[in-house]
Amino acid sequence: MDRRATLTRLFGLTAAEPVAAEAAMPAMAPVLLGLEPYQGPWNFEQASHILRRCTFGPTREMILEAVELGFDGTVAKLFEDLPAPAPPVNHTSDEDANVPLGETWIDAPYSVTANLRAYRNQSLRAWTLKLMLEEGISLREKMTLFWHNHFAVSNVNDPKFLYRHVELLRNFAWGNFRELMKEITVDPTMLRFLNGNQNTRTAPNENYARELMELYTLGKGDLAGPGDYTTFTEDDVIQMAKVLTGWRDRGFNTVNPDVNVESFFTLNRHDTGSKQLSHRFNNEVITNLGDQEYAHLIDVIFKREDVALFISRKLYRWFVYYPVNEEVETNVIRPMAQILIDNDYEIRPALEALLRSAHFFDILNWGPMIKNPLDFIVSTIKTTQIPLPDDELLRYRVLYRVFLFTSLMEMEYYNPPNVAGWKAYYQEPLFYRTWINATTLQARMGYSNILTTAGYNFFGFRLRLRPLDLIATIGNPMDPNTVITEFAKLLFPMPITDSQVVALKELLLPGLPDYEWALEFGEYLGNPDDVTLANAVDAKLRALLTAMISMPEFYLS
Amino acid sequence: MKRRHFIQTAGKAVTLPILLNGMKLSAMSRSAIFKGVNNDSDRVLILIQLNGGNDGLNMVIPRDQYSGLSNVRPNILIPETAVLPLNDLVGVHPVMTGVKSMFEEGKLGIVQAAGYPNQNRSHFRSTDIWTSGSPAEQFWTTGWLGRYMDGLYPGFPDNYPNDEYPDPFAITMGNVVSETCQGVSANFSLTLNDPFNLLSLYEGEPGELPDTPYGEELSFLRTAIAQSNAYSQVVETAATAGANLVEYPADNRLAQQLKNVALLISGGLRTKVYVVSLGGFDTHANQVDTGDPTAGDHAQLLETLSQAMAVFQADLMAQGIEEKVVGMTFSEFGRRIRSNDSLGTDHGTAAPLMVFGSCVNAQVLGENPEIPTDVDVQEGIPMQYDFRDIYGSILMDWFEVPEADVKSLLHEGFTHLPILEVCSPVSTANPVVSEEIRLTNFPNPFRESTIIEFYSKGEQARLSIFNSMGAELEVLVDKKLPEGVHQVEYRPKDLPAGNYYYRLQLDGRFRTRRFVKI
Repeated sequence: MDRRATLTRLFGLTAAEPVAAEAAMPAMAPVLLGLEPYQGPWNFEQASHILRRCTFGPTREMILEAVELGFDGTVAKLFEDLPAPAPPVNHTSDEDANVPLGETWIDAPYSVTANLRAYRNQSLRAWTLKLMLEEGISLREKMTLFWHNHFAVSNVNDPKFLYRHVELLRNFAWGNFRELMKEITVDPTMLRFLNGNQNTRTAPNENYARELMELYTLGKGDLAGPGDYTTFTEDDVIQMAKVLTGWRDRGFNTVNPDVNVESFFTLNRHDTGSKQLSHRFNNEVITNLGDQEYAHLIDVIFKREDVALFISRKLYRWFVYYPVNEEVETNVIRPMAQILIDNDYEIRPALEALLRSAHFFDILNWGPMIKNPLDFIVSTIKTTQIPLPDDELLRYRVLYRVFLFTSLMEMEYYNPPNVAGWKAYYQEPLFYRTWINATTLQARMGYSNILTTAGYNFFGFRLRLRPLDLIATIGNPMDPNTVITEFAKLLFPMPITDSQVVALKELLLPGLPDYEWALEFGEYLGNPDDVTLANAVDAKLRALLTAMISMPEFYLS
Repeated sequence: MKRRHFIQTAGKAVTLPILLNGMKLSAMSRSAIFKGVNNDSDRVLILIQLNGGNDGLNMVIPRDQYSGLSNVRPNILIPETAVLPLNDLVGVHPVMTGVKSMFEEGKLGIVQAAGYPNQNRSHFRSTDIWTSGSPAEQFWTTGWLGRYMDGLYPGFPDNYPNDEYPDPFAITMGNVVSETCQGVSANFSLTLNDPFNLLSLYEGEPGELPDTPYGEELSFLRTAIAQSNAYSQVVETAATAGANLVEYPADNRLAQQLKNVALLISGGLRTKVYVVSLGGFDTHANQVDTGDPTAGDHAQLLETLSQAMAVFQADLMAQGIEEKVVGMTFSEFGRRIRSNDSLGTDHGTAAPLMVFGSCVNAQVLGENPEIPTDVDVQEGIPMQYDFRDIYGSILMDWFEVPEADVKSLLHEGFTHLPILEVCSPVSTANPVVSEEIRLTNFPNPFRESTIIEFYSKGEQARLSIFNSMGAELEVLVDKKLPEGVHQVEYRPKDLPAGNYYYRLQLDGRFRTRRFVKI
C-alpha cells in the first residue's frame, strides 16, 4: 500500500519520482522526499498547491497564469520585488484637520480634541486585509504575516507605530534575517512591546533579552543544568538585557507635528560595563559599543547555527506541515539551515529551495494544512471572486467590517495572543488543529454561509457571492459534472470522491438527469438578461457553492 | 444515523504518531483502569487559569516579612496597614474582599508556594508543565485531566457523544481548548462562548478518507464538526433549563465566564471540568500605579478574580449546589521577589494558589516565604508544594481516583495534601497537619559546609537543595529515617556564593528554609 502512489492515481498524475525505494517502507511511515529540486509535472494541481500556500487563496485566473508562467516563472514571480504598497488612508473621519479623506495619516499628528486613533486603527486593519485580498502571485503578504507571527507584537495602541512596524516586516519579507533582527531590536513598536524602552543601566528590564533568544532567534533547548537551556542560560538573559540598555522610542500618540515615530539612544541610560556571556556563547565578553552594541549582540547570536535551524523549522511549519520528525529534520531543515548560513542569513535562497523542493511537492504534503483564520476569511472572498466596492473609501469601510471576523476566529492581525505568536505554529500536539473547535467552527461557518447566501450588507454595499460570475470562468459550464469538479479543483486541495460529487449534484439538479442542467443553463446563456432564468440557475449554483464552502475540505490547504 | 457513522469512521485516523512523543507509557495505556471509580459522580472542578505569571507575593502577603519586603520591593509593596488579614501571619491584597469573606466563611483555602523542581521561566514551557503535569525535564503532550479522562472514556473521540455520555466531559470558556484536557487522541474540552447561540454546522456527504496526512486532518475536522453539533444540542438544552440566582457584574470578564458555568451546572449538564481564564498577569511594568501601590494593573486583575469567585460561589449557594463544585486557580509561575524599576516584577518561581468551594479546607497550607533583605536579583519564591501533589489530591479527594492511579497519572513521588477532604467520601491517610517541621542549619551563612538539622518522627524523608531560581541542585537524603534528631552535612563542590534553599519533606509535610553561601 503506497500512499503516494494511490494519491497519484487518484489525481490521474504521473508519479513525480520513482517510488520503488519507498515501496518497501511500512505504510504508516512514508519516506517524504527531501530538499532536492522538484522535477515532476507542472499543471493546474501543482500551481494551485504552491499558490494556496504562498498567497491567501488564489483565484482561478492566478492559477492559470502560474501554469502559463511555468514552474521557474511562477517561483520567480512569487519572489518578485514589488514597490511598497500605497499607505493606508483616511477612509471615514471628518475630524482629522491634517488629513483629508483619501489621504494618508501615517505621518500626521494626533489631535487633542478628536480621537483620531480610532479611525486610523480601523484604516490600518482594513488596509492590511486589502493587501492580502488584492495581491497577485507574490509571497509578500504571506511572509509579512509570517514575521508578524514570529515577532508577535500586540498591545501597542498607536497605528502609526504599527504601520511603521509592519512596513519593516514587509520590506524584509524574504530579506536578510540578521539585519531584520537588528532593525526589530530597536524598532519603536518592539521597544514598547517588550519594555525595551524601560531597560536602563540602573533598572535593567530583561523582557526583550529573553524573547530575543527564546522566541526570535535561538529557540529554547533542553534544560541542561540550572538555568541552562542548552541554547542560552538565565545569566545570558541578564547580560544581554544590559547590552540593550539605553534605547527608547518617541512619538507615541503624539499631537506634536514635529515629532516623528522613531527610536533613540541615550548614553547615560546605557550600561557601559562589560557583559560576560556564558559558555553557550564561548564566554564572550561584550564591552561598551554605545549605540552599536545591540547590533554587535545580534551578530554574536547569529554566529550560532541554532538560529538557522530555528527559523528553518518555523518556515517549514508556515509553508509545509507541522510535524518536524527526524526525517524532516535531516532531509529538509538541516539543508535549509545550511543554505541560510551559506547565504549570510538571506531568507530567499533557503525559502526558495523549500518551495522548489521535491518535499514541498510531495503529494503527501498536499492538503493537510488547516487554513488559519486569515487564510480562511480572505480565501472565501478571493477564490470565489466576491466583488468588493469600487470606491476606495467604501472598500476600506467594508473591509474593516470583514476584519472584525478575524477575532471571532482567533486570529486578529496586530493582536496575537502572546509573544510566541499564534499557538497553531508551536503548540504540541494540536498545532494547526488549534484553529478548530466548537466556537471557531461556528464562526467560520456562520461567516461563509452568509457570504454565499444572503450576503452581508455593509454601509449599503452587499458583500455576496455571485455564482454566475464564478461559473463564467469555467471552460465547460454546460456539463454539471465538469462544473462540480472544476469548482472542487478551485476550492479543495484534493479531489473529492465520486459519492461526494453525486451528493453535490443533488443540490444542483435535485433528482434530475444531467442534461437538464445543460438545458437550464443553456437557456440562461441564450437570454442572459432574463431575470427569471438567471435567478433560477443562480439559486442552484448558490446552493452548490454554499455546501462546498461549508465542507471541511475547504478548510484545508 | 449519519452522524454516528461519521464519528466512527472519522475518529480512526485522528491519532498521529507525534502525539505519543515524550509520553510515559504508564500514563497512556490506561483504558482499563479506574475500576470501582464512580464515573457518574456529578462533581465539578473549575480551573481558573491566570495567564502571564501571577505575582503571588502581591496577592497572598506574608505579614511577618515586612522588613524584608519593604527593602526588596519598596516601589510596589502594599502598605502593611492596607493588607486584609486572613490570620496573624497571612493577608491578601486590599481589593480581595470577596476572597477574604470566602475564607472567613470556610470556603477558601490557600496553598503556599506551589511550583515544581527546576523551575522554567519561559511562559510557554512553564504553562505546558502546569497543564500537562509533567516534570520540568520531560515533554508530555497530554494534559493532566486529559490523561484522567482517557482512563475513564477509552477511545475518545470515537463514538462520543453517545447515549450513556451525551454531555461534553469538559468545557473551556472561550475560543481555545485547554491543554489541561488534551487526551491521547483528542482534546476532551468543548469550547464555548455563548451557550444560547449555537449554530448547526453543515456535515455533508463524508466520502472516504485516504490514509495520508490529508486524510488525518480531514478526519479531525469532520469529527470536530459532528461533535460540535451533537454537544451543542445538550449545551443549549442545559442553558435553557438552568438559571443564575445572583447578579454577575457585567464589566467583569471572568465573572461572565463563570456565570455561564453556573448556568450550565444548574441546568443539569454533567460536565466534569470547566476551564476559565483571566489574562494579563505578565506585569513586567506598571504592575502598580505610580504613588499608589494598592492600585494598578495587578490590583485590577486581583479584584476581577476575587469578585468573580465570590459572586460565583454566592450563586452556587443560592442554588443549593455548593457541595458539587470546587475550584482552583493556577498560573505558570510566580514572579521575582525583587521588583524592577518599571514598577513591575519579572518571571519568578513558585506562587500561592487558591482553592475554593464549600468542600475545601479553609486554611493556609504551608508557611510564609522568608524574605530577607539580601535577595538576589533573580531570586524567586522557592517551592514548598509540588503542583502535582495538589492535582493528585484533587483527583483523589474529589474524583475518587485511587492513589496508585494518581501516581501513574502524575508522578511516583505523589504525596497527598489536605486540601479538600471535607466532603470526601474516602477517608485519607493523613489528617490536616499543622505541626511545623523542626528544621534548621548552622552555620548560616556558611563558607565550606553547613549542618542541616531536623527532627523526624520516623517518616520517609527527602532533603534537597535548591538555588534561588528554583533549580533542584542536589538530593541529600531520600529514605526512611528512624525517629529522632538528624544532622546532615552539606558540603557543596564548586557552588558559587549566593542564596540557596533547602527543602525537607517528611511524608505529607514540607518545609523550605533559606541559607547563604559566602
